[in-house]
Amino acid sequence: MARAREEILRDLADGVLNLDEELAVRAAHEAIAGGLEAYDAITNGLVVGMNRAGELYDEEEYFVPELLICSDAMYAALAVLQPYLKKEDARAQLKCVIGVVEGDTHDIGKNMVKIMLDVGGFEIFDLGRNVPLALFVEKAKEVDADLICLSTLMTTTMDGMATVIEMLKEEGLRERFKVLVGGGPISQAFADRIGADGYADNAASAVRVAKQVCNAAAAAA
Amino acid sequence: MESLAVPADSQNSLERVLCYLQGVNPQRIACFPLILNHAAKVLGVPVGTCIRDAELLGKAHVAAYRRYGNDLITFLSTTSTLAEAMGQKMDFLEHDAPQLAEPLIKELDDIKRVRLPDCARDGRLPVYLQATEYAVAEVGSEVCVSTLLAGPFTTAAALRGADVFVRDLYKNKEWVHELLELCCQAGIDFIDQILARKSLPIIVEPIGSGSLVSPRTFREFVGPYLKRMSDHIHAKGGGLPAVLHICGKTKPNWGPMREAEWDIWSLDGVDMAEAREFAGDRVCLVGNVTPANLLKNSPEEIDAEARIVCAKGMGSPRGFILGSGCEVPINAPGENLDALINAARKYGRFDR
Repeated sequence: MARAREEILRDLADGVLNLDEELAVRAAHEAIAGGLEAYDAITNGLVVGMNRAGELYDEEEYFVPELLICSDAMYAALAVLQPYLKKEDARAQLKCVIGVVEGDTHDIGKNMVKIMLDVGGFEIFDLGRNVPLALFVEKAKEVDADLICLSTLMTTTMDGMATVIEMLKEEGLRERFKVLVGGGPISQAFADRIGADGYADNAASAVRVAKQVCNAAAAAA
Repeated sequence: MESLAVPADSQNSLERVLCYLQGVNPQRIACFPLILNHAAKVLGVPVGTCIRDAELLGKAHVAAYRRYGNDLITFLSTTSTLAEAMGQKMDFLEHDAPQLAEPLIKELDDIKRVRLPDCARDGRLPVYLQATEYAVAEVGSEVCVSTLLAGPFTTAAALRGADVFVRDLYKNKEWVHELLELCCQAGIDFIDQILARKSLPIIVEPIGSGSLVSPRTFREFVGPYLKRMSDHIHAKGGGLPAVLHICGKTKPNWGPMREAEWDIWSLDGVDMAEAREFAGDRVCLVGNVTPANLLKNSPEEIDAEARIVCAKGMGSPRGFILGSGCEVPINAPGENLDALINAARKYGRFDR
């Protein structure tokens, strides 16, 4: 007999939370076989587990390896569920262009923020690392982004963030996109100085800040 | 105003640093700004040229010492140097430190491609060692010279790619230990070469930072190998202390760091008062003026920040050394380093 919806959802969440990719993928197949809606399995299973993992990361119970492996489990199970998503499940998502600024190839921090924003309901356009500064502006225009996230670990490249903001101003686009900055040498003071809309010092808080600045923009519109 | 007056030094740099080893108070605390690639700037040569040329690298660090009067010369251009000598490819840049190219170890089986380096020949280890010899000969009678290398965990992450390596910690534990064993042996070989040149070996283990890995991971994969290195330095160093630098937020891992028995900790994103509390009478502390502030802030702001750090660190039973939390930014203005070292003269006095 097929198991109850609640049990399957719990396995989806637990598989993600407990770094158990096998469990998450098995539960995803079971969800489909048992007639669960894919959307239900994702939002009330996988995302619940990943958000809990994000909380543990915020509380310094989980660290980078744990969060990355949780996300591996989530994406593996998501790959099973995604083909069964219905068109009407597609929500209007906030769009985010993200990348590591030119001259820097350290991308673990950026990847963590990307995962948590994805889980938080943003549609992500990842430009990768060592990204030419003009490309952030170009891509944001192309996809009509709501948010641009800039990351760096190095003091030699942090000024590139200010350059991106200057480019937006020059094109008269500064008000159109929110800009978030983060990474080792970045601080709230630096973010304020260059006129960024927000700063976060870890991946979990990045999602909170991203939602704050975007919601504020939506409320003002 | 007292804050404007900079008291004169009555000891030279080496005398000052030796006080820490002898367990007596110096006239004023030492100051270790981590001048790495910034040294090229002082000499006026491109970073990318300087760090591949032993003569330039040696001259750059001696020039930086003569310019600033820092109490420790620190030879390092990137934490991937040992990995480079073990076969990892690097991308060299003209005005910045080299960065990791594609990882050497793409498949687990590629561990066979990792070689124990010949310190006289492989990568830039000979550059580091010859530059070290130059500085020791030139100014070794007045200032402590150190040569830095990455710890096994950081070297392994460089060879494998950090994002894949952190997953291996769960999925391929035994393999990880096999790789760490190689990296540890390579490090110990290099330490011996550094000691033979009368330089102080310092280990940097940024990938073991609490910004990245948990205390449990540290105990399992970082601590045991660091312990072997500190044991080696204690056994072969002729009384030299074991010095460890870890960047970022280290506080979660202080417990396992202490178990690895390092005498001097250079710390970055921590509260120095909390660190002092934790260090007790076991660890001498170095730190931790915010590196990015050395680039962006004014000398007055650096003075104010350093004053607070000194207030927190002074009185640490095993000693406190003012420093930068991590590498001094390449383009940091010289006046900010002057402000940092003057802060040690002003706020770190024991002679009154």
